[in-house]
Amino acid sequence: MARVSAPDTAASRRGFLKAGLAGGAAFASALVSARAGAAEAGGDPAITEIQDWNRYSGAGVDQSPYGMPSPFEKEAVRRNVPWLTADPVSSVNFTPLHALDGIITPNGLCFERHHAGVAAVDPAEHRLMINGLVEKPLVFTMEDLKRFPRENRIYFLECAANSGMEWRGAQLNGCQFTHGMVHCVMYTGVLLKHVLAEAGLKSSAKWLLAEGADAAAMTRSIPMEKALDDCMIAFAMNGEALRPEQGYPVRLVVPGFEGNMWVKWLRRLEAGDEPWQQREETSKYTDLLANGKARRFTFTMDVKSVITSPSPQAPIAHGKGPLVVSGLAWSGNGVIKRVDVSVDGGRNWTPARIDGPSLPMALHRFYHEFDWDGSELFLQSRAVDEKGFVQPSKDALRAVRGVNSIYHNNGIQTWHVGTDGAVENVEIS
Amino acid sequence: MSRFPELLLAAGLGLWLSASVAQGQDATAGEKLFSRCKACHAIGEGAKNRVGPELNGLVGRKAGTVAGYRYSSAMTEAGEGGLVWDEASLRSFLGNPRAFVKGTKMAFPGFKKEGDLANIVAYLKSFTKDGKMAGIDDQAATPARQEAEKIEAPAAQPPQAKAAPAVQQEGAGKVFGLGRLATADEIAAWDIDVRPDGLGLPVGKGTVAQGEKIFDESCSSCHGDFGEAVGRWPVLAGGQGTLKDERPVKTVGSYWPYLSTVYDYIRRAMPFGNARSLSDDDVYALTAYVLYLNDVVTDEDFELSNKNFTSIHLPNEANFIDDNRAQEPEYAQKGEPCMKDCVPGKARITMHAAVLDVTPDAQDGDEAPASGIE
Repeated sequence: MARVSAPDTAASRRGFLKAGLAGGAAFASALVSARAGAAEAGGDPAITEIQDWNRYSGAGVDQSPYGMPSPFEKEAVRRNVPWLTADPVSSVNFTPLHALDGIITPNGLCFERHHAGVAAVDPAEHRLMINGLVEKPLVFTMEDLKRFPRENRIYFLECAANSGMEWRGAQLNGCQFTHGMVHCVMYTGVLLKHVLAEAGLKSSAKWLLAEGADAAAMTRSIPMEKALDDCMIAFAMNGEALRPEQGYPVRLVVPGFEGNMWVKWLRRLEAGDEPWQQREETSKYTDLLANGKARRFTFTMDVKSVITSPSPQAPIAHGKGPLVVSGLAWSGNGVIKRVDVSVDGGRNWTPARIDGPSLPMALHRFYHEFDWDGSELFLQSRAVDEKGFVQPSKDALRAVRGVNSIYHNNGIQTWHVGTDGAVENVEIS
Repeated sequence: MSRFPELLLAAGLGLWLSASVAQGQDATAGEKLFSRCKACHAIGEGAKNRVGPELNGLVGRKAGTVAGYRYSSAMTEAGEGGLVWDEASLRSFLGNPRAFVKGTKMAFPGFKKEGDLANIVAYLKSFTKDGKMAGIDDQAATPARQEAEKIEAPAAQPPQAKAAPAVQQEGAGKVFGLGRLATADEIAAWDIDVRPDGLGLPVGKGTVAQGEKIFDESCSSCHGDFGEAVGRWPVLAGGQGTLKDERPVKTVGSYWPYLSTVYDYIRRAMPFGNARSLSDDDVYALTAYVLYLNDVVTDEDFELSNKNFTSIHLPNEANFIDDNRAQEPEYAQKGEPCMKDCVPGKARITMHAAVLDVTPDAQDGDEAPASGIE
């Protein structure tokens, strides 16, 4: 009976889709044939047969008081790379960039990086202290902080180690892993300069130490000039309270600077006349060069872009014809002026189309649409920011820095697209 | 003598009053307080220097710069050192003049109530350079802090860098009168950071031998018996001379620039999973042991203390440089990038990610990584 077999058919098709999503190359070629089969004999069963969701009523309100994505989207999740770090408590996972669009990252998909796990802070017991070279050392409650004038700003946050595994050459197959230590949300918070003004900075206060309430008591020294310029103390992201893994109840926002400085669970700000040379600004987050010297205080995140689709986790499944190339670009120097796309490995470039808001120090979404003839492609993107900085090739960076920098790798990424639509992370000459 | 009432009317009584009430700051009350100043100071149209300098346009004025007035050398020097009178600095000065500018000849002992300070400053602010009343300024108004009757720094603050006059920096924010004073005990509980110059070091001491005992119990399960590390936990010792190698080993001895960072980090975050459980002496002992593991000290009886701490330097300190990315060729030339025929020949693959096969979820994902995240 058709009525009995219909759910089975749907279920097996879902099973097939899931298998395909995990597979990569096999997925691409298989789906092309599945698509051809859809219009066979009598029509597409998705149309000719009545679907469950068309017959049976669905869940009522309140089944899920905090809504969750469709179960069909379960591939769009953060993932980690277990061998990167010693322990998941002091580790990192990655934003599934290949599965996202637009410029805003959903809160639950923003990558995580902790140095001693997620602090479970009770906001009623949370305090922010300002001390050091100030007229009056002060303590604020969360309630106090919310009485300053609020601002809403959209900024990207990128870990300085994003793409750090790729210095020695192509390693990880997926933009989630090569570029997924970035996210972009709208922060609601108060300007740091107002909070500092309450305490009254002394003229010798040139640096600010930000400290978290987590078990690593995470600390970074921030130049006072930056602190008084555009830094924020944020308590909300994308309209709701910060997620615990993003610093609930309050984090520092340091626009355009490396993510490590955006101290989460922010509990203390100390004004001083010199940087503190903390662990995360000496032994880590310093860039070792080929000559054995190491750069420190490399704060700004350089101009960068990546094609998010097609990419290894998002192969071309539809065969020849109209193809949407989609990607992200960003710069710690301001807005993205232009993104160029190459389909031949950087021999020739075409300006891409930036769509959606173009905001300083925020992700920009770009598209490049063309008819794919089914031949192999070497996809690259290259961003130019408002200050005129051009995203360099990986080889240009390696030539001046060597391969031991770990941090600040903003080189141009190459994806190889095979004739079957499968995509691979490659290095080319 | 004040011309204030007339000026007040000219400026629009109702509006001004509502603005001042809303801000919790009262220039009218300030005018009353000014009676304690006017034996020496004049303000308003035609004001002249008397025992003290005239005060028109005081806010925004560099300290010690009124023509024809003979200042104390302390005040002149404060101005030359960058002291500009603004709300914050005036409040500090008028709260305790001789503490804020040591050697000022102003004999006034200072206003001790926060509310009085806010009001007198509001009054002083209301006069422009020519002695006229300024327009309504609803910015930078400071309500009195209800919690704090007095301005006084907590008695036992941790040592701070050299004292400097309080001067509102350029780009400083507005003051809203939020928050409360931190107590000395609160600051001592949280302010445990240590700088390379020794600022923040607690009194204490510990020997290499004492450190070894603590290390074996609390640290070696991750860092290894000799700091060589277990698994991917941080290596603490060795690696000297490897920074230019293909696989640099970055340890306290081979890479870290400052010993203070070792003390600071152990004190704030170690042992992993049981932070803040070590005594200050334990941390000195462990720091001494890490020096020993790295051959920076070689005597097991060596004792590290707050007294000898800053005399010890780590070998790699000189190899850190400031950010000079802007000078790199790929950034220095900010020209238009090439658009056509930029590279000769067809693109050729030189390396596949799939060959390394270290991607999570891939079938054979166990291969050793080329580089990790620290």
